[in-house]
Amino acid sequence: MKRYIIAILAMAVLASCEETVQLDLKETEPVVIIDGLVSDQFKNQYVKVSRSVDFYAEGTSKAITNATVSVTDGTTTYNYIHNPTPDPENDGLYFSEVRFAGEVGKTYELTVQVDGATYTAEDSLYPVTAIDSLTFIINDDEFEEPEREGYYYEMLFYAHEPQETEDFYLFKFYRNDTLVLDSPTDIYFSNDDLLAEEINGIPTASFYKMGDTGTVEMYSISNAGFIYYNDLINLLQSDGGMFGSPPVNPRTNVKGGALGFFQASSVVSETIKVEE
Amino acid sequence: MKHTSLVAFLAMIFFISHQSSAQERHTVNGYVKDAENGEELIGATVLVKELGTGTVTNVYGFYAVSIPPGTYTFQFSYIGYQTIEQTFDLKENVEFNIELPVEAQQMDELIITDEAIDANVSDIKMSKNELDIKQVKKLPALFGEPDIIKTIQLLPGVISAGEGTSSFFVRGGSADQNLILIDEAPIYDPSHLFGLFSVFNADVIKDSELYRGGIPSRYGGRLSSILEVRTKDGNNKRLGGSAGLGLLASRFMLEGPIKKDKSSFIVSGRRSYVDVFLKATNQDNLVHFYDVNAKVNWKHNNNNRFFLALYLGRDVFSFEDVFGFDWGNTTGTFRWNHLYNDRLFSNTSIIASHFDYKLALEDDAQGFDWKSNLHELTLKQDFNYFLNTSNEFEFGYHVTYRQFSPGRISPTSESSLFAERAIDKMYALDHAFYVGNQQKVSDRLTFRYGLRLSVFQNIGKQDVFIYEDPKDNIDPTRIDTVSYGAFENIKTYVNLEPRFSARYLLNANSSVKLSYNRMVQNTHLISSGTVPIPFNTWSPSNPYLEPQIADQVAAGYFRNIKDNSIELSAEVYYKDIQNVTDFADNAQLFFNEDLTTEYRQGNSWSYGLELMAQKKEGRFTGFVSYTLSKTERDVPGVNNDNPFLANYDRRHALNLVGTYDLSDQWQFGANLSYSSGRPITVPAGRYQYDNYQVDYITERNGYALPDFHKLDLSATYIPKKNKDRKWQSSWVFSVYNIYSRKNAFTIYTRLKELDDDVYSDEKEAVKISLFPILPSVTYNIKF
Repeated sequence: MKRYIIAILAMAVLASCEETVQLDLKETEPVVIIDGLVSDQFKNQYVKVSRSVDFYAEGTSKAITNATVSVTDGTTTYNYIHNPTPDPENDGLYFSEVRFAGEVGKTYELTVQVDGATYTAEDSLYPVTAIDSLTFIINDDEFEEPEREGYYYEMLFYAHEPQETEDFYLFKFYRNDTLVLDSPTDIYFSNDDLLAEEINGIPTASFYKMGDTGTVEMYSISNAGFIYYNDLINLLQSDGGMFGSPPVNPRTNVKGGALGFFQASSVVSETIKVEE
Repeated sequence: MKHTSLVAFLAMIFFISHQSSAQERHTVNGYVKDAENGEELIGATVLVKELGTGTVTNVYGFYAVSIPPGTYTFQFSYIGYQTIEQTFDLKENVEFNIELPVEAQQMDELIITDEAIDANVSDIKMSKNELDIKQVKKLPALFGEPDIIKTIQLLPGVISAGEGTSSFFVRGGSADQNLILIDEAPIYDPSHLFGLFSVFNADVIKDSELYRGGIPSRYGGRLSSILEVRTKDGNNKRLGGSAGLGLLASRFMLEGPIKKDKSSFIVSGRRSYVDVFLKATNQDNLVHFYDVNAKVNWKHNNNNRFFLALYLGRDVFSFEDVFGFDWGNTTGTFRWNHLYNDRLFSNTSIIASHFDYKLALEDDAQGFDWKSNLHELTLKQDFNYFLNTSNEFEFGYHVTYRQFSPGRISPTSESSLFAERAIDKMYALDHAFYVGNQQKVSDRLTFRYGLRLSVFQNIGKQDVFIYEDPKDNIDPTRIDTVSYGAFENIKTYVNLEPRFSARYLLNANSSVKLSYNRMVQNTHLISSGTVPIPFNTWSPSNPYLEPQIADQVAAGYFRNIKDNSIELSAEVYYKDIQNVTDFADNAQLFFNEDLTTEYRQGNSWSYGLELMAQKKEGRFTGFVSYTLSKTERDVPGVNNDNPFLANYDRRHALNLVGTYDLSDQWQFGANLSYSSGRPITVPAGRYQYDNYQVDYITERNGYALPDFHKLDLSATYIPKKNKDRKWQSSWVFSVYNIYSRKNAFTIYTRLKELDDDVYSDEKEAVKISLFPILPSVTYNIKF
């Protein structure tokens, strides 16, 4: 967010310059990263376990393939197995042995054991409101000067926000089944602190062309999830601490020294096609 | 312990008053003014030659000397002005106002005939600098816009966070620990365009001084420094003015008598016109700022003088008529200077200050309007009592009422998704009683000591939440709400702030000085960035936020060489701050109803060495300043409870500032700055979560930005005046960052972009630098 202030400053002075610099960084002890979701959809739920890498390392987090992973809702324990297919793309991904659907009102507890260390996390599954409808409109600016030829349809989102409960939402938008973000550091999420009941046509990410399909997935998240995504976006969009706070690791619900988040969500989704 | 020191202090006052009544005395008092425009001269020296002692004019230009009957020669002097002597055969009290003519422009090195000891050595004040606005105007400036705050950032003991910012950091204090006053009214955000310029229009500034230590008891409320900016009263001899046309902004100032020698006015405006350029390029993004200063005074006689000063400034940003924001300060000061008798000078001020910002989005679905503001109203009653040539008392009472409105969000369309919400307002009453005395103990030794009693009240109307765990910022659980009615006391904090300074003259051109001061701050900036932005809010001390308390000791050696033409100083300081206000890692500071759970207070300490050499007169003037300092913080709940370097810690800072008058037509200025890079937080590693590549952070401020350095040059050309014309023009040519160093403003990380909108999983660090070489020209006229 604060990075925009620098952009505004730069615009105001018609100057400023960005250049890549090489930071002189020491090697760091890697940290375990946990990324898991229990949704209310009946399926093999997943947990991803990996290790951080040095900032300038090639590729991304290193998969951990020898972890022991399980999730319990207090009565039933689900064991997870590493990459059952197996598919090299899914290294580091653990799937529940059996398919199950998370249930609203339950709290799920994750246990991950890696090389003798134990990490636990719990998250509660909340209900999510329905998506009333989606529509496409022509975005005038994009119509006049499209960034990509033909992509000037904007998907709008309609819903009713229940005012009597405290709710938190995470959104994912897909164009023809591909996740779209306006910027690679964007996360679409919200609490309902400032929301009125009627959500009347909120623009979603990116633009669409004639014939495209657009999909919105809306996830319920817990307060801990909201805090995690809020901290995460602040970190992703940090200006280095000039106008905003210094970058810092997001607050996680994972205990034991790992980073990442273990999330329980209800999910609803809606799809619409751009047509004449 | 506190009580004993108070008793001892009162006993001392009593002793002095008792002693003084033993002998008959008469008083010479009056104002020292500039002969050209009638402006009072602050800090002008009044020397009684026969006694080898004297006084200086106070901040209103008033002096009073009480001495036994006799014949005395008074010498009135002020730097840059002719010295005038006047003989009095003192049989009764004398009222004597004097106007000093400006020294004729001397092209040769000035010959100092006067043997008076220079203020640098003799003045009790230490850790204090005055800025000569005439010199500031000759110095190179960003976009050719002279700015006192940019010059303040060059002074010893003062650190800047980066170019293009209007905040400054004094002796390890954060930006909000500076009390910035314009005609006694506090300015809550001194920035235009996020800090490219400050709110101070150089055309109306008469005098400005920065205290970074040895702070007199009449000042309080902030921990680290006092920047007092006083505007001109307006020429009471003749109508005049000036105008300037710069690259980014233009200025206009008009001043003149309402009633000659009795009453005058000054009015000034400044407006930027970046938006005009943007409009010309068919952009709908509009940015502008403006300032208005106005002042009238009525100097009825020496016993009653009235002033009314106003300041109004605003920044307005608008993007395609959809999104916009603006902010601004408004201040007003009414001042009454009154002489109760020949030795008791009184200043009564009523001061109002207002700051607000607004963000607005015009949109059917998401339209909102967000407002936040802060008002304060102060009554100040200050007295100066000129007891005798050895003792000058000051005492007074200040009371301030503050109202903080952290935020109100309202939908701007019927179908907006936003609900109307507001965060509770907060109120505070701040009382201060102070006494102080400057006592000349012997020819060599002078003390200044004082006490300030700060009584702070957080008052209603407010609902105060009681939390199960007041530090739980993840899931704050309110267990109770206590409602307080209007003006009902919520929490009181009482603090005693002792102040002490001593000066010992080693000889006519050298002295040592020592000072200690305790400062208390009850108004806290809610910001975890390095540089405050206008969208930050403020909070009073409250049940969850204790007053910040700073103790500072400083010692210095002062020496003048070459007939007082070069002033040297060396100071060391140590400052310790208790309850320094900081915020939890990941604190949510915007629109947070449970903001109190984000407060984390801890300790901060700073120490340093400051060297300065200054030449104030002659063809060549300027200064060299060097600061070696270190500032750390240790705040429970921040950086895993480990101490960390303050954001604005810079080990070394060196500045060379000079102006050279080549001829009546040409003057040159230069500024060379060097400072070690300030600390910044960079990632130690990286990982993937969901589709995001996330930095892994291991410590705060563990990396140093590259060193900062740049050279700026300026030249002022004053064409020969055409005798038929009433006005004089000048051109100021400025080149900022002449060797175009890309100084790091900040570093952030981003994904490597492989192709348009195609990103790698790998990241890179990016340095932002703001200004390459920037030439500018400003055209000024004076009439």
